[in-house]
Amino acid sequence: MLFNSFAFLIFFPVVTLFYFILPHKFRWCLLLVASCFFYMFFKPEYILILAFTIVIDFMAGILLEDETEQRKKRKYLIMSIVANIGVLAIFKYFNFINLNITGVAKLLGLKNHIPYLNWLLPIGLSFHTFQAMSYTIEVYRGNQKAERHLGIYALYVMFYPQLVAGPIERPQNMIHQFYARHEFEYSNAVNGLNLIVYGLFKKMVVADRLSVYVNQLYGNVYYANSWSTLIGICFFSIQIYCDFSGYSDIARGTAKIMGFDLMVNFNRPYLSGSVSEFWTRWHISLSTWFRDYLYIPLGGNRKGEWTLYRNFLIVFLVSGLWHGANWTYVIWGTLHAFYVIFARITKIARNNIAQFAGLSKLGSLNSFIDKCITFALVTFAWIFFRAENFGKATQVIRKLAEFDFRFNLNQITMMKGPLNLILSLLVIGLLWCSYLLPTNLKLKHNILFLAITTFIIIVLGKNGEAEFIYFQF
Amino acid sequence: MEKRNLSISNFRLFCVQILLPLIFILVAAGLGFNYLFEREVVAKSQISGAYKINRILTQTYPDEIPIFGDSRAEMGLLPDSVGDNFFNYGLYSTGYDVTLFFVEEECKKTKKRPELIVNLNLSGFTYGLGDISNYLYNINDDGVKKLLGDDYRPYFSIPFIKYYGRFESIFRTYFVENSLMAKVINNGASLENQSIPVAQFRALVAKREEDLPIFRTAEVLQNKLLGIIKAHPNRLFVFVIAPYHPCCFDSTNINTGHAFIHMLRTYKNVRVFDFSKSVFDESMFFNTSHLNYKGAVYYSRLLHDSLSRIDSN
Repeated sequence: MLFNSFAFLIFFPVVTLFYFILPHKFRWCLLLVASCFFYMFFKPEYILILAFTIVIDFMAGILLEDETEQRKKRKYLIMSIVANIGVLAIFKYFNFINLNITGVAKLLGLKNHIPYLNWLLPIGLSFHTFQAMSYTIEVYRGNQKAERHLGIYALYVMFYPQLVAGPIERPQNMIHQFYARHEFEYSNAVNGLNLIVYGLFKKMVVADRLSVYVNQLYGNVYYANSWSTLIGICFFSIQIYCDFSGYSDIARGTAKIMGFDLMVNFNRPYLSGSVSEFWTRWHISLSTWFRDYLYIPLGGNRKGEWTLYRNFLIVFLVSGLWHGANWTYVIWGTLHAFYVIFARITKIARNNIAQFAGLSKLGSLNSFIDKCITFALVTFAWIFFRAENFGKATQVIRKLAEFDFRFNLNQITMMKGPLNLILSLLVIGLLWCSYLLPTNLKLKHNILFLAITTFIIIVLGKNGEAEFIYFQF
Repeated sequence: MEKRNLSISNFRLFCVQILLPLIFILVAAGLGFNYLFEREVVAKSQISGAYKINRILTQTYPDEIPIFGDSRAEMGLLPDSVGDNFFNYGLYSTGYDVTLFFVEEECKKTKKRPELIVNLNLSGFTYGLGDISNYLYNINDDGVKKLLGDDYRPYFSIPFIKYYGRFESIFRTYFVENSLMAKVINNGASLENQSIPVAQFRALVAKREEDLPIFRTAEVLQNKLLGIIKAHPNRLFVFVIAPYHPCCFDSTNINTGHAFIHMLRTYKNVRVFDFSKSVFDESMFFNTSHLNYKGAVYYSRLLHDSLSRIDSN
């Protein structure tokens, strides 16, 4: 079920109402049934995959806690991780690996007889797999007690607001909340409603509007000039931010109304002054996941500079692959690794240059320049993320490099008309205005905010229940 | 128990302070906006589908000779060049189901002039509602509801909400009409004033050669059309086939189309004018199946001459 669908408009109030009406001991049951229904709305049979990982990790958690011998504990953890990664490997990476085997075999003059799997990727697989893995790892580390209630554990993995696109929660933050007795609270409800409406604004007004131009650019690169390419790639940066952070806002809002606190997943990432800072503000639940379960176990920054660079590279490569089974995601991850490593290597030299040129005295202007450079770097990397293949990405980059900045209305509007471009710029302006609001959306004039935003959604919202980009991951 | 009571009082507070005022504000603002939008934008844009549907349903101009059809009618016939009192009801991206809806409504009216012009295509009888926003202004009309069929949604009856996601397309038409940027507007017709660069036009021709129009027969629509013709012997049904680019003539079943045209000609109150091969100058085309302004003026004059001959007979 999509958050921006009519079905959800009915589903959410009904579930919330019953949640508060039901006695506390039955609430987990209601939430679990609602979460199953929510997930099965996409493709019912994939619930079996979820059920498989839930049962495996639930049992692994208990075995991990009951076992005293470290060697056996390690074995159980590995088994659980293999089961989770195995599901990911089969559904997400099998065809990608097979395709590459075919390529290599072709080079060697051989034939690859391994058949391709004709399965659709279960929605949000990478999200709930990572959430399940964080549970077993935390139990193994002794930071979390094993959950002995299968229903509550299943709810931890399947809680519908964050089931298909995160935030990827930690057991320490979530499981105890399912035991807590939540009553309807005015402040939670208002704040939750603000988050939902703001999330819908980001998705339906900004992201879906910008997608018109972006899809046209990536579908007809041959028609673009450097202006339209520049506009299109910048639009995609904003589109993907609004699409994904919009989802996270709605997820947080729906949970908040019921009394649950989900972690903040985005913190205005395009206001970052460096790519490293960007990763502390973008998809925070995933970047902290990689920090805690990959970067630190690899040695983090404790084993010298070269190991640190290697760790950056591994983390970003895996992050790229987490997003999708395609070399374009690998390039995207590698580019970010390169940015971060390069920034670290050149930090002293850059500071010296900035001091010599007097840039450090410019204060807010200097900070603005840093933000622009970061936005440009991140936007460039997004080209690989958005393009279907490497060839399409290079076409886009070639268009930029042509420096064809002639004014041709048809090209600048990408044949979608001036009104679409004007509306796109208008919604970006509205997004910018929304940055004047506090990040937690705890406002003085809630009614005004809700009324204006809802009105804008109805008037400027794009028609059609467009899927969220991150569902595919 | 105390917690539960607190929860209920919180819920009451939420309803009284947030939910109800929000609903009230949205309903009031929505109704106000809807009123102004329909009065100032929808009803005042003569090339919008909403205006044309409203015009055919609610207004009668006894001297008017209507032109019905899809975009080939809308972009191909300039009413003022065809003659006096013509109005172009052509609707972009619609099929014959919509054209027949217009024809049926027209036949219900008492008119001084018996003629009505109906565009006919080499693609025959296709279905297509086009942009749903065209129908929303008159959504409470039973005929419109019936025409929408499965595409009708209950929220189409709710003012303001019904336009969700569709304000843009209506505003676009309104702005096009009022800015006159690249179009010539004339009594419902919307004509392309710009020509496409030669290279792009060649690409369109190549694309069309791969996807030639095929005359589609749809018994329901054909029978409905013949039924209307038979039921209104006092009306003169003038079928016109607008010019096509020569690359379209290689259609595999063009004979099926010709057979149907031949059959239409057997009706006393029917005239058919086939202009499909009357334009060969590429500078008159917007694309392979639509004329530009220059082509439309030429074609409209041809029709004018043909209609004059009917009058003199």
